[in-house]
Amino acid sequence: MGKHLLELKNLQYSYGNIKVVHGIDLYVDEGEIVTIIGANGAGKTTTLQTVSGLTAASGVKGEILFDGRNIGRTRGHLIAGQGLVQVLEGRHVFSKLTVAENIQMGTYIRKDKANINKDIDQVYEMFPRLYERRTQLAGTLSGGEQQMLAIGRALLCNPRMILLDEPSLGLAPIIIKEIFESIVRINKQGTSVLFVEQNSKIALNVADRGYVMQNGEIILHDTSVNLLQNEEVKKAYLGE
Amino acid sequence: MIIQILVSGLVLGCVYGLIALGYSLIYKASGMLNFTQGDILTLGAFLGYTFYGVFHIPFILTVIIVFIIMLGFGMVLEKGIISKLVAKGTLPIYTVLATIAVSYIIQNGSMLVWGTQSINFPRIFHVTNIKILGVNIQTEAFVCILVSMICMVSLHIFMKHTRFGTSMRAAAMDPLAARSLGINVSLATGLTWGISAAVAALAGMLIGPLYGVYTTLGATIGRKGFASAVMGGYGNMYGAMLGGAILGLVETFTSAYISSSYKDLVAYILLITFLFIKPTGIFNERAIQD
Ligand SMILES: Nc1ncnc2c1ncn2[C@@H]1O[C@H](COP(=O)(O)OP(=O)(O)OP(=O)(O)O)[C@@H](O)[C@H]1O
Ligand SMILES: [Mg+2]
Repeated sequence: MGKHLLELKNLQYSYGNIKVVHGIDLYVDEGEIVTIIGANGAGKTTTLQTVSGLTAASGVKGEILFDGRNIGRTRGHLIAGQGLVQVLEGRHVFSKLTVAENIQMGTYIRKDKANINKDIDQVYEMFPRLYERRTQLAGTLSGGEQQMLAIGRALLCNPRMILLDEPSLGLAPIIIKEIFESIVRINKQGTSVLFVEQNSKIALNVADRGYVMQNGEIILHDTSVNLLQNEEVKKAYLGE
Repeated sequence: MIIQILVSGLVLGCVYGLIALGYSLIYKASGMLNFTQGDILTLGAFLGYTFYGVFHIPFILTVIIVFIIMLGFGMVLEKGIISKLVAKGTLPIYTVLATIAVSYIIQNGSMLVWGTQSINFPRIFHVTNIKILGVNIQTEAFVCILVSMICMVSLHIFMKHTRFGTSMRAAAMDPLAARSLGINVSLATGLTWGISAAVAALAGMLIGPLYGVYTTLGATIGRKGFASAVMGGYGNMYGAMLGGAILGLVETFTSAYISSSYKDLVAYILLITFLFIKPTGIFNERAIQD
């Protein structure tokens, strides 16, 4: 087994005195698409935000290796430049900026100015609805469109790996399908993906591998195929 | 006569507007009231007087130097005091109190350095008056209005049409998302305070030649600037300017046609009226929710 693209070693996180992530080990290889499933309050968001440096550095213990470098102490705004970018839970578009301005903010850290316009075109090609609405304020978009914008914006950072926190949250089934198709397409184009989902069925159908998180710990880890067959998972997460 | 009143009103209005602009920018970026704005205006006026009147540095150069110094001052204020307090978990209302404390420190400090007397800012232009529509206007008044306008338009272009300005708006709107995209939110916030201070200092250098420079120069202007920001729609850049213009004109016309002793009375009654009939200001800003 070679070097993993992302590797968490005994990662712990505490908000003040309250520990919510109790030492998890997890990895994602180059080109993979991996999911973390788990119930409300399991610590999924905390884990993702800790990886992308959005939680306070003082609460982090353990190691976060990205491309072999320990980024556990790197502050938030410096992570995107390392090739790791997160699409936040609840989308977090800049509501009073236009769609085009949101997109522009995705390119904020880019140094290869020459390629930016081409990449923006690609995002608009992937999500034509964003192109139609590019002069509209992002806050006026529908939930699905906001999710597309959040994903498109993150892609423009030109990441090696994209983290997504509950991309299906609050969306209609048909839109969820569309969103996940685009995530698969992004992955096929070479970006590694780690995403968190409560919608376990879709998650395991899309991902190569899955981790099951409960009360701040990883209780199961296997290929998605095996997890879909697992009795425990079936009962607790697939409602079968 | 009426044109002269109009010009005096606009001079005041522009200065209020520049101060209000700072209040609004800072509110958007930090969700905070910064009551140092007025005293920073005073400080800017004193520094301008010192560089120009005492050291005889050309006025344009003086403006640039003071602008840069106060940009730094505003950033240090935010980074050294405000964000430190916020990080310690201090309640916002106490942090606002800290800005009031700093405001008095500036006021008293400048008294120690420059004394209690009103100082005459030496004339900037050889031509005392220029004629507009057949009316003589003091050159400094004209320049005050002109420079304020240029300042507002530049700020508008910077905030709305540059990548960096847009990133500052984004950082103010959603700090978490901004950080996830690699925007340095802490720098953006500091810079917002810096720009607000620099603009207030500029206002001081524009009004100093017209009103003289004294330690409480900015105190009243600061309050009126705050009122302007509220009338315009707190947090809205354009509202701040419009609110300033309205307040300045109302004040000057009251002085001219009723009595100058009623000007503050009328101005503040107008503010209270505004709070009742249009609590979100002219530009409909929902200050609390935003
Ligand atoms: N800023 C915070 N301060 C203190 N505790 C927090 C904070 N954010 C989250 N927590 C706590 O940490 C635990 C894990 O929360 P987290 O948001 O990571 O869970 P999650 O798995 O993402 O849940 P969900 O599926 O509801 O999004 C919860 O008990 C939550 O109350
Ligand atoms: Mg969550």
